[in-house]
Amino acid sequence: MNSKAYYGKFGGQFVAESLMNTLEELDQTFEAALKDPAFLEEYRYYMEQYVGRETPLYYAKRFSETYGTNIYLKREDLNHTGAHKINNVIGQILLARRMGKRKVIAETGAGQHGVATATGAALFDLECTVYMGEEDMKRQALNVMRMEMLGAKVVCVRSGSNTLKDATNEAIRTWAKTAEDTFYVIGSAVGPYPYPKIVREFQSVISREAKRQFFEKQHKLPDVVMACVGGGSNSIGMFADFIGDRDVELIGVEAAGKGIETGEHAAAMAEGRPGTLHGMYSYLLQDTDGNIKLAHSISAGLDYPGVGPEHAYLKDSGRAQYVSVTDAEAMDALMELCRLEGIIPAIESAHALAYAMKKAKTMTMDQNLIVCLSGRGDKDVHTIADYLAGKAYLN
Amino acid sequence: MNRIEERMALLKQKNEKALITYLTAGLPDLEGTKALMRAQEEAGVDVLELGIPFSDPIADGPIIQEASYQSICRGTNLKKVFRLMEEIRSEGVEIPVIFMMYYNTILNYGIEAFAAECRAAGVDGVIVPDLPFEEQGALQAALEKEDKAILIQLVSPVSGARIPAILEHARGFVYCVSSMGVTGQAGVFHQEVLSYLKEVKAVSKIPVMMGFGIRTPEDIAPMKEIIDGAIVGSHFIRLLEQSDYSTKAAKEYCSNFKQNI
Repeated sequence: MNSKAYYGKFGGQFVAESLMNTLEELDQTFEAALKDPAFLEEYRYYMEQYVGRETPLYYAKRFSETYGTNIYLKREDLNHTGAHKINNVIGQILLARRMGKRKVIAETGAGQHGVATATGAALFDLECTVYMGEEDMKRQALNVMRMEMLGAKVVCVRSGSNTLKDATNEAIRTWAKTAEDTFYVIGSAVGPYPYPKIVREFQSVISREAKRQFFEKQHKLPDVVMACVGGGSNSIGMFADFIGDRDVELIGVEAAGKGIETGEHAAAMAEGRPGTLHGMYSYLLQDTDGNIKLAHSISAGLDYPGVGPEHAYLKDSGRAQYVSVTDAEAMDALMELCRLEGIIPAIESAHALAYAMKKAKTMTMDQNLIVCLSGRGDKDVHTIADYLAGKAYLN
Repeated sequence: MNRIEERMALLKQKNEKALITYLTAGLPDLEGTKALMRAQEEAGVDVLELGIPFSDPIADGPIIQEASYQSICRGTNLKKVFRLMEEIRSEGVEIPVIFMMYYNTILNYGIEAFAAECRAAGVDGVIVPDLPFEEQGALQAALEKEDKAILIQLVSPVSGARIPAILEHARGFVYCVSSMGVTGQAGVFHQEVLSYLKEVKAVSKIPVMMGFGIRTPEDIAPMKEIIDGAIVGSHFIRLLEQSDYSTKAAKEYCSNFKQNI
């Protein structure tokens, strides 16, 4: 056992033998890059000039007054490509260049990570292939078109549930065959070590900025920090710099889909058992035979039956709390933010907002809550329209 | 002595190459699987790999993915395959059997319970394609405690410097994954596979088998002098599907392969 690959008992490298040297090479490249001022400067340059960082920490005044505590939104939706995913993609693509790889592959659920990868590949002139489940391609047709406009090839995955889990399987299979010249850009804080560490590092810019921005306004720490959790990339980024501040309550919000009791949900922490999938040991939704169950969520980005290993560790150690909200609660929160603040959030982010609304009621106007608004909802308008028209969502 | 190791010793004594085949457990159904196992033993197959179906078989191509999915749909699970093993052993089938499976299926069953059940049901070996050397500690310890089934080690053409450590305590045989897709690859590529197999053979104290992408005895002709046998998976599964799981077709294919290897 390679102890650096673990967060407590979670994490590891459950991959084919043929990928072990690739993972080692990636880890060495990453560690060297973090110590290389030129690499860090290049990353910072693209974050500032291309992505548009830093993003505001916006005080949502009307939202706060309505729900009874001070609510700040970390505006990752204002990033280039519309979500936090680009923070990590630029970092990983710079690593790919450093390793001399000319091709990148990625999996995508909501399409945000696929769009971000296609964007980064266009920017750095790399060949890009994105694996996407057939079901997700239907509900995120706009993002499929964006990826294709950016020059990426989108491969439709028709196996299992036709969603993110299966797209990830296919990306891993392709990677195992082509790792010599191909870099796998993983979009969430999942996968074999060192991926969870890499994604966390590149996403931790969210909490580094938020902490400083909040301190500049209030000269103290927030009381609560909250983010939605699918695989857990925006949430680990939002938590990272606050983990050592024991007084800051960290809350991850999973998708309860149609309700935990219906069995149709994506709450790996609430209902899952530890197991191995996609190279990691973590909480997973699985049946009595150990087969991975299908996740259900109205949000394609949260429709994943597992969760990143560091989140599993934060849950077991008690440092973070994980809760869940239903499709209906998330959609209500989405509409509420539209009306109160003129911001259309991604359905993923609306899960965090929905729990923020509940949590705020237990807080006072002397307290402060930061919610990671991980993405914008433009990509979701078709899903929102269907939902509002009362069409039962098929998944 | 373990059945796999006994068979390896016998092959060495007879100066024969091994034929190892892969079968997805539960296809066409559990009784059909037993019939196919018997047919293969009669056809002279040396070791049988029995695939335990899993929902997310990331190391498998489309043919075995589909077979695995079909088997799950028919209700196959690890417990039922253990029962199948007990039955077939009590019926006198002595062919060495290896479970090819994903780690989550073992974790779900419980590592210690799994190792104990392997002993009880007459399973001789386990191959876990998503469990690299570094992660094998817990399973290896449980299997050693039972002192029956052995963990078969996989190496790949890019394993390089990892090979000696992987092989140091390996038992049974080494499973060399070739990146050879189909026959007729470019000569350069063949050269790379050959030098990799030579490298493994040079450090291995146990027989060296090659698998992935093998369809006919001719496919392994270029490396015949280096390896000790071949593993046929996807191609055999496809052949079974096409023949509606005919034991006759399975037998013909296997005995022909074994004779011409």
